[in-house]
Amino acid sequence: MANQLRFLVVDDFSTMRRIVRNLLKESGFSEADEAEDGVVALQKLRASNFDFVVSDINMPNMNGFQLLAEIKKDEKLKHIPVLMVTAEARKEDIVLAAQQGAAGYIVKPFTKATLEDKLTHILKKMGLQ
Amino acid sequence: METADSAPGLGDGASPDVHHKIGQLTRQLHDTLRELGLAEKLRGTAEELPDAKSRLSYIARLTGEAAEKVLNRVDQAKSQHDQLTAETQRIKALMVKDPVAAVAKGHIMNFLTDVEQANQTLDQHLTEIMMAQDFHDLTGQVIARVVNLATNIEDQLVQLLIQTAPPDAVLPKPTAAEGHPVLQGPVVNAEGNPDVVTSQSEVDDLLASLGF
Repeated sequence: MANQLRFLVVDDFSTMRRIVRNLLKESGFSEADEAEDGVVALQKLRASNFDFVVSDINMPNMNGFQLLAEIKKDEKLKHIPVLMVTAEARKEDIVLAAQQGAAGYIVKPFTKATLEDKLTHILKKMGLQ
Repeated sequence: METADSAPGLGDGASPDVHHKIGQLTRQLHDTLRELGLAEKLRGTAEELPDAKSRLSYIARLTGEAAEKVLNRVDQAKSQHDQLTAETQRIKALMVKDPVAAVAKGHIMNFLTDVEQANQTLDQHLTEIMMAQDFHDLTGQVIARVVNLATNIEDQLVQLLIQTAPPDAVLPKPTAAEGHPVLQGPVVNAEGNPDVVTSQSEVDDLLASLGF
């Protein structure tokens, strides 16, 4: 069931979107789309069905915190887990993400093992693995 | 040999008049900046320059590490590829000579096992090479901040030029100075900074302490 999940990868750097998508594919999740900022991500989330969001924080137009807040206040989207993958390493940012309802927080640069570990943890919590 | 005492300096050739004029200009500039309220702004910008230097050093370090990582992985992958090519030729020769014996003696099975292991290792090398490209994202964010600093300096100098220009001078229009983004981007120097985390395990510990 887990490998049927549809991911949305949100990052303003195409290199990072590609890396995350490739890592997801290597971990058995081949269903993924991408967005370059929070605005595009919200449009895609509202237009189609996604099961999981992997999002950067520092992005133009709408950053990851704003995207997270929009997702959590939207009745149709708030069930979707959001994993933050970001270079923001301040403790106050990590605490804020947790308080806003992020499912996990990964600081860049990260390893494949870290991403897999967090995905497994979140999916188990959701009862999907 | 020339000593510090005997070395020619500015004082030797410069007249007291020139020295006095430089002093007057410096004082005038200082007073003007203070009157215009720009001294504090420029001081703030000057204080950011060491930060810009450390950010540029961070970029140099990260790109250097990424290049090293990729080259090391390529070296290892090429070495394994060479071994696999040589082994393929050896097995091919055995098959041509006596296919039944090649199978019966286990050469083929051993070769297939080796190929399988080599494939796994090569896949790991490729993943690491891909992960090394994350420097693009991290350095891109840092470069954006340094560019922002350069823009601020330019804006302040243009502002200074406008405010000190003669009435009939034609000057470029100032651009709006962008404020500092609230988000900080990658931590270029975490040493002695208790407000940032330096590893994923610290992130996990912090979240665990909050009950997440």
